[in-house]
Amino acid sequence: MLLDVTLSLLEGFGTTVELFALTLLLALPLGLIICFGSMSRFAPLRWIIKTVVWIVRGSPLLLQVLIIFYGPGLMFGLPLLPRFTAALLAFVINYACYFSEIYRGGIQSVSRGQYEAGQVLGMTKSQIFFKVTLLQVIKRIIPPMGNEWITLVKDTALVRVISVYEIIWMGESYIKKGLIWPLFYTMVFYLLFNGLLTVFFGWLEKKLDYFK
Amino acid sequence: MAILEVKHIEKNFGDTQVLSDISFSLEQGQALSIIGSSGSGKTTLLRCLNFLERPDGGNISVNGKVIFDAQDPATQSEAQIRKKRLHFGLVFQNFNLFPQYTALQNVTLARELMAKEHGGESKAQILEAGKALLKQMGLEDRAGHYPHQLSGGQQQRVAIARALAMRPDILCFDEPTSALDPELTGEVLRVIRELAVQKTTMIIVTHEMNFARDVSDQVIFMDGGVIVEQGDPQQVINHPREERTRQFLSRREG
Ligand SMILES: Nc1ncnc2c1ncn2[C@@H]1O[C@H](COP(=O)(O)OP(=O)(O)OP(=O)(O)O)[C@@H](O)[C@H]1O
Ligand SMILES: [Mg+2]
Repeated sequence: MLLDVTLSLLEGFGTTVELFALTLLLALPLGLIICFGSMSRFAPLRWIIKTVVWIVRGSPLLLQVLIIFYGPGLMFGLPLLPRFTAALLAFVINYACYFSEIYRGGIQSVSRGQYEAGQVLGMTKSQIFFKVTLLQVIKRIIPPMGNEWITLVKDTALVRVISVYEIIWMGESYIKKGLIWPLFYTMVFYLLFNGLLTVFFGWLEKKLDYFK
Repeated sequence: MAILEVKHIEKNFGDTQVLSDISFSLEQGQALSIIGSSGSGKTTLLRCLNFLERPDGGNISVNGKVIFDAQDPATQSEAQIRKKRLHFGLVFQNFNLFPQYTALQNVTLARELMAKEHGGESKAQILEAGKALLKQMGLEDRAGHYPHQLSGGQQQRVAIARALAMRPDILCFDEPTSALDPELTGEVLRVIRELAVQKTTMIIVTHEMNFARDVSDQVIFMDGGVIVEQGDPQQVINHPREERTRQFLSRREG
C-alpha cells in the first residue's frame, strides 16, 4: 500500500515540479522584460504594462487559469490548449508580473549615485548595468524571490481546476478509499521541497554576504 | 593658455534658474576652491562639468578645444559626452564606492573596462597603477578590503584613487569631507593637499575655509546661482570686497 501511494504521489509530484521549473524558466526572463517596459521612458508602453501588471496581480491566479483554458474556445471558437500548457501559460504570465515588480524594486533600490559614479568613470550604460548594479540588485531581490518561489510551489495545486493531475489530486483520490494519511504524506513532499528551497536561498544570501 | 575655460554656463530646473552666467578659467596645475551657502548651485556646477547635468547655455573648453557648447548639438551626443567627461573626474560627497568590489577593484574597474574596449594597457599594468594610487592615499594595506570594512575617511580616499585612476585633466571634489566625522576630515584633506603640492589641477567645493585658503590658487564665492566674487584666496576669504561674501564668511565664523 505504502509503495502504491508513494508511486502515485511521485507521479503527481512530477507534474508539480515540472510546472514549477518551467514557470521559473520562462517567467524569470519575461519578468525582466516586463520590468524594463514598466520603467520605459516611452509613456504609453509604461501605462500598458502597468495596467496589465495591475490586472494580473489584482485578480486570483485561479481565475486566470480558468480563463486561459476555457477563454479562447468560448470566445473565439479556437481549439482548447492542452491542459498542462494552458496552466503553464497562466502561471508564466502571472509570475512574470510578480517578478517584474520584484526586479523593479531591486533596481530602484540601487542608489542613483552608483550609476553616476560609473558614468563619471566613463562606463557605458551596459557596463554600469552588468558590472555595477546587477549584483547589487540580485542581492536585494533574493529574499522576496525566495518567498515568491515558495508561494509558487504551493500555487501549483491550483491547476487541478482544469484537471491537471498534480500531487494533491493524487493524495485526495485516497479519501474515497477512506484513507487520510496519504494527505499528510502529500504534505511531507511539499515540506521537503520547500525546505530545500529555503536552504538554497539561505546559501545564496550567505554567498552575497561579503558586501553590504 | 588655460586648461579649462567655462563661459556663460546657464542651468535651469524647470522654471528655477540654478546657474546663471557662470564663467571662469583655470590654469594647468592650479587648484580652484568654490565656496558658498547651501543651495547656491555649487554641486550643480560640478555636475555640469562632469555632464551629469546638461547646461542650458554656455560652453566649456578644455585645452583650448570646445568640448561642450549648448548651441551645438554635435557636442552633445551620448558617445561624445562619454568620451569628453573623461577630461574630468568627480569625487562625490558620499563616496559612491561600488560595494561589491574591494578597494583595489574599485580603483581598477573602469580602467580595465576601458582597456578592454580600446586596447592599450595590460591587466597587470592597471593593477600596478591601482596599487600605486592606493599607496599614495596611504591605503596599501587596505587594498583587499570591501567598502563596508573601511572608515568614511578611508572610503573617500579610495574614491579619490578611483577618480585619479582615469587620469582626468581636472579633478573635481564635491564637499569631500562633509559626510565625515570631524576626526576623519584631516586624513582626506591631507591627501588633497598632497595632490595640490604635486600640481594636480583641481576644483574643490568645500566648506573648510582654512583649507580652501591654504590649498587653492583661486577662490570663487557663489550665491544664488551666480559668481559673486572670485580671485586670490587671501583676498576673497580674508578681505572680501562684496557685502554678500562678507556676510557669508562672518556667518560661518559665528
Ligand atoms: N535635480 C534637481 N531638480 C530641481 N532642482 C534642483 C535639482 N538639483 C538641484 N536643484 C536646486 O538647485 C539649487 C542648487 O542646488 P545645488 O545642489 O547645486 O546647491 P549646492 O550649492 O551644492 O548646495 P549644498 O551646499 O547644500 O550642497 C537648489 O535650490 C536645489 O534645490
Ligand atoms: Mg552641494
